[in-house]
Amino acid sequence: MRRWVAFLAVSAVVAGPAIAEQTGAKKRRPLPPEFGRVIINNASEKAGLAPVSFDHWFHRAKYTCRLCHVDIGFAMKAGATGIKAADNQAGFYCGACHNGKLVVDKRKVFESCGKALIGENRAGCLRCHSVGKNVTPMVDFKTFTKDLPVGRFGNGVDWEKAEETGLVKPVDFLEGVSIPRKSFTAQKDFALSPKLQGMPDIIFSHQKHTVWNGCELCHPEIFVGVKKGATKYSMVEIFDGKYCGACHVTVAFPLIDCGRCHARPVQ
Amino acid sequence: MRRGRSWLLAAVLGAGAAFTVGAAQAVLAQGPAAATQDWKKEFEEICAKTQDAMALPMDELKGLVSRCDKLKPRIEKLDESQRKVYSRRLQVCRDLYQFVIESREKG
Repeated sequence: MRRWVAFLAVSAVVAGPAIAEQTGAKKRRPLPPEFGRVIINNASEKAGLAPVSFDHWFHRAKYTCRLCHVDIGFAMKAGATGIKAADNQAGFYCGACHNGKLVVDKRKVFESCGKALIGENRAGCLRCHSVGKNVTPMVDFKTFTKDLPVGRFGNGVDWEKAEETGLVKPVDFLEGVSIPRKSFTAQKDFALSPKLQGMPDIIFSHQKHTVWNGCELCHPEIFVGVKKGATKYSMVEIFDGKYCGACHVTVAFPLIDCGRCHARPVQ
Repeated sequence: MRRGRSWLLAAVLGAGAAFTVGAAQAVLAQGPAAATQDWKKEFEEICAKTQDAMALPMDELKGLVSRCDKLKPRIEKLDESQRKVYSRRLQVCRDLYQFVIESREKG
């Protein structure tokens, strides 16, 4: 047990910079509140506004990934959705919830891109269009996460445990947007053997993933292979944002938390 | 007597005309709304089965894929916001059904 933990730690230290060098993505590791932050700037600057700073942590504590990325229609890559103010005003994308009507935790969700907000000085726009602006967030990260189970990396929150223990209850249905569906039986967990000898097997849990993602968020957009075992996943590709990396580089617990996936001790 | 008959005839014709105009207006007013609900109902019926995709028989999966293909041009005619959202949603569920078909055939 100790041997493989030490091995994983050494691998992370050695392989991390090497992979970053190969992919040309040597970046400062984000601070916990910054992890999962997406900057959206399709039309903002053209419209004379600052780009939008979107923090996943607050939204993922309330809603499943599937609700936003399937039912509401946000693409999985930053900037790929092409959100416009008119979409939000018509009740799509951010406007599906941020419509000034929906009530969450006894509070009305503010309206996005509403005509009343735009006004003369566009002060209301700063709530989202906040990159480079001195805006105090409505919800403080430290206060919000203080009672949630601690994670080693990413947001410093173990979201999986938070969901399992009921500390967060991500909603998977939005009235008027989602389609009522039966709850389903998840596929069984399975093990994947890594190429590297001595590396613990990866235990992949469909159940843990389907809670947040359903089926269609991952298949086939992220995991396209149809034949079991036919696709070989390399850590270089994963660190580059492919396969598991589509979420585990950006929002879900990061790849440097090796033991979360390489979980079965070598026999 | 004759005058009474013509009044009656005029009243009947007037009521008939009013009914026809009213009915036509109702149909016209309902038309686009009914058409809207029509594509959305079809979309919801098709994509409500993604959770069960693994358990669906092959012919049903193939039927769903073909219904997605048939619905696509109708969604492409919607206004920009609706088109963007529902095109992606339809594509995502079509791709899942196709994925299950292929994984059964090749897996």
